[in-house]
Amino acid sequence: MDVPRTVMAALADRPVEGATCLEAGAGVGKTTAGLLADGADRVYAITNDAEHARTVRERVGRDHSDRVAVLDADLVATPLASDSVEVITAHGLCNVLPPASLDAVLEELMRVAAPDCHLVVDDYDPLPDDAAMQNLFAVENAAAALATGDSALTFYPATTLRRLLTGHGWAFDRERTLLDPVPWTANHVEAHANAARASARTLSDELSAPLLTEIDRLVDAIGEESTGTMYSLAFRLPG
Amino acid sequence: METRPLGETGHDSTVMTFGTIALNWLEQEGADQMVELVLDHGVNHFDVAPMYGDAELKLGPKLRQYRDDIFLGCKTQERGYEGTKRKMEASFDRLGVDTIDLYQVHGLEYEEELDRITADDGALEAMREAKADGVIDHIGLTSHGNPQLILDAIDRIDDLETLMFPLNPVVAGRDDEDHDYQAVLDRANEEGIGTLVIKAFAKGSWPSTDDLLERNRPYANWYEPVDSPDVIRERFDFAASQDVTSVVSAGDPKLVAMILDAASRYDGMDEAAQRSLVEGARHDDSPVPEQLHH
Repeated sequence: MDVPRTVMAALADRPVEGATCLEAGAGVGKTTAGLLADGADRVYAITNDAEHARTVRERVGRDHSDRVAVLDADLVATPLASDSVEVITAHGLCNVLPPASLDAVLEELMRVAAPDCHLVVDDYDPLPDDAAMQNLFAVENAAAALATGDSALTFYPATTLRRLLTGHGWAFDRERTLLDPVPWTANHVEAHANAARASARTLSDELSAPLLTEIDRLVDAIGEESTGTMYSLAFRLPG
Repeated sequence: METRPLGETGHDSTVMTFGTIALNWLEQEGADQMVELVLDHGVNHFDVAPMYGDAELKLGPKLRQYRDDIFLGCKTQERGYEGTKRKMEASFDRLGVDTIDLYQVHGLEYEEELDRITADDGALEAMREAKADGVIDHIGLTSHGNPQLILDAIDRIDDLETLMFPLNPVVAGRDDEDHDYQAVLDRANEEGIGTLVIKAFAKGSWPSTDDLLERNRPYANWYEPVDSPDVIRERFDFAASQDVTSVVSAGDPKLVAMILDAASRYDGMDEAAQRSLVEGARHDDSPVPEQLHH
């Protein structure tokens, strides 16, 4: 698969070659592909989404079965040994972790990190107030909160994650901007709308009907929008 | 308008090259006005070809009036010696000039064509003769073809001075060899070859003629172009910031003024903004629809 420029830019100054890596929150395998392209010795791609795990196995794992292990596991309790990973990536992970879960995941990453481990955290700054996508994310969060009690998305400012991670013991290395603006394409809009619809459909008709109507309206109104920024933070675990 | 060295030709080309095929769609008076507009913006590099309808004829009057201000690129789809000589002569006649600054092999697509143009009785021999005679100054090549073929051409043509090839955010987002024009660009820069970018403003292929008849297309481009000022500016800025010499304007005259404006205002594009365009194009064309992130 093509490695996104965002991933290339985030990994460009990291010592991936020959390293044992963990992609925390593997999604569809974009960073796993980037780590492999940069010469990782072994990549553990961990996701708690069975469909994502299958996608990563099909798209990336098949051609590199000796270097990739796709694990369907919870990031708060991975099956990896302590002090075993040399490079950890969390590309677009934190925004899907509610504040209550974020700390537990960061604890687990700290546990598996070897001395001198590198950590790369790529995520989105909160969107500008006038961004139309804000409205779709608000509905997605409302539907998820009604369905599960948790928000679907939390956009942590770079400064917040930086402080949080240094508090966990990571030494800050650098920050760079990956996307400015972030292109929320029609595909992204539709994907977020579908996530919001899936949450809404678990609710009573009385709650779901107005949410579904609003989601449809927002998809038409937004179309696509380029707004906000995506950042990359890099840290090092003191040896 | 910013200028950059065109490889080692000794000429500094403006960051926009005027693709004169646009003149083909205009009457003579409109064509004259367009050349004036382009020159008013400071553009000094023009590109023409005999296959662009009447573009050579319509460029002629203003080209002759401003000959010293215009670095003129022309090209031929002929691959053999005799055909190239004939086409070159025809271009001199139609343009009404005695010299052409840059003469290019036009639209190289197949390995066999590379064999043919580099043969003893090939197109390049005719170009070298014309260069020795002082009627052309530099030799170039254009191709929409496989990047590997263009790399082979660089290897096999020692006196190649310029290359024209596609580059845009859609192409840049693909990693496969068929889209690796970045390798062409890197190699051209290593070799001191000037680089001219085409298809910078391509949005995609036209719908099939079943869905949209050719005569019903709203633009005269080979491809469906981007067509709003902001997007044209983004596309120009992207192409011009890829370490190339110059970006060739799109073929439809309706787009030229917007491209001139973008070129005049060009002031670089940072990497995060470049990635934004690549990512946007990549996701538009993604085989995996359910992607929440970039």
